[in-house]
Amino acid sequence: MSADPLASLLAACARRDRAAFERLYRESAPKLFGLALRILRREDWAEDVLQECYVRIWDHAPEYRAGLSAPMTWMASIVRNRCLDWLRRPNPEVIDEEGDLLESTPSDGPGPLAALQSSREGLVLKRCLEALEGKQRQAIALAYFDGLSHSELAAHLREPLGTVKTWVRRGLLRLKSCLEAG
Amino acid sequence: MKLAGKPELQERLAAEYALGTLRDGARARLARALRGDAALARAVAEWETRLAPLADAVAPVQPPARVWQAIEARLPAAAGSGWWDNLGFWRGLGLAASGAAAALLVAVVTLSPQPPAPAPAPVVLKAPSNEMAEVYLAVLADPKTQKPLLLASANYRSDQLQVRTLDPAMRVSGKDLELWALPAGKAPRSLGVLGAGERATLRLASAAERSLADVPALALSLEPTGGSPKGAPTGPVLAVGPCVKFW
Repeated sequence: MSADPLASLLAACARRDRAAFERLYRESAPKLFGLALRILRREDWAEDVLQECYVRIWDHAPEYRAGLSAPMTWMASIVRNRCLDWLRRPNPEVIDEEGDLLESTPSDGPGPLAALQSSREGLVLKRCLEALEGKQRQAIALAYFDGLSHSELAAHLREPLGTVKTWVRRGLLRLKSCLEAG
Repeated sequence: MKLAGKPELQERLAAEYALGTLRDGARARLARALRGDAALARAVAEWETRLAPLADAVAPVQPPARVWQAIEARLPAAAGSGWWDNLGFWRGLGLAASGAAAALLVAVVTLSPQPPAPAPAPVVLKAPSNEMAEVYLAVLADPKTQKPLLLASANYRSDQLQVRTLDPAMRVSGKDLELWALPAGKAPRSLGVLGAGERATLRLASAAERSLADVPALALSLEPTGGSPKGAPTGPVLAVGPCVKFW
């Protein structure tokens, strides 16, 4: 983790080094913008969220703990959480021009899951996701990539809320034991 | 949120928070609980790490240049090293502080809020009860507009610093205002985080004649809730000004 160049950039940001912050942005923004775009599906929203998140990353850089998570994981979590807040605003203009957000959501077809083999962790996660039941996998993928909450998942999958909660819970438990088994 | 002694519940909530399926209320409660609960924060970080390859699998997209421009515009103005490391800044303040307290009071009177709002409220410091006002006084102003934003005073024998903020507009939700002593040639020292009210009383480490004797200036910065996590200012500096003996 210490070999991660983002870690030293983040540490420099904590010391209020503006040049390091710009480099951190150049190195990480395409990934995080891709992530925000994937979840929000609207470029203007994704731009707003990205902007807010980098200001947040700058403000909170001193709180980053290298022992807890990798820099990209920490930053991606800030972006995902902000995207979820954004999607769940009290009065979101949820329906975008291209159509209903939920209807346009692809199920667990190819898409990002197919791209998981890019790293060893990705391969292991892919194998563990594939070991899940279809519904569990679909629910987890929809939640992660489309920012759906339990109740939105239930509506999207046309299943009772309790059922969907159980899928998610069991899916996560199995995922964890599979990942821990390596 | 009471999760101590409930490892299974903690694990489940951490997983669902990291995945993002919790409802708004539960999400917000968990986000708050995260700040004070190291075990929960660790459990969430572990789940974020488990799921991280999913984020990696999303194709990168170059954001338009205006995003970086907007970010840069929102960062605190000071470029390079922090203002508190800047010796010139110090000397300037030292000079300012050597001016007479009378000048300070004149400044307070003349620098009334700029737009003639519904009759600018006069800025009045209540004089301590003893005839000789033996107080330390500080008037902190916006470094750019010179508009006074905060008054602070302490009787020289007292360890109570009375603080009054003059502009509610400088408050930002989710952030706290923190007041700093700027001792000459030394690192800033926190005097405390201001509450939500217009007035606050901060406890000094000792009587003002000791704790403020080597402090030519104070500063006010915007910090994460609860104050700077580093013990040094991290956020933008909203106001600075001399702190002088008035007797």
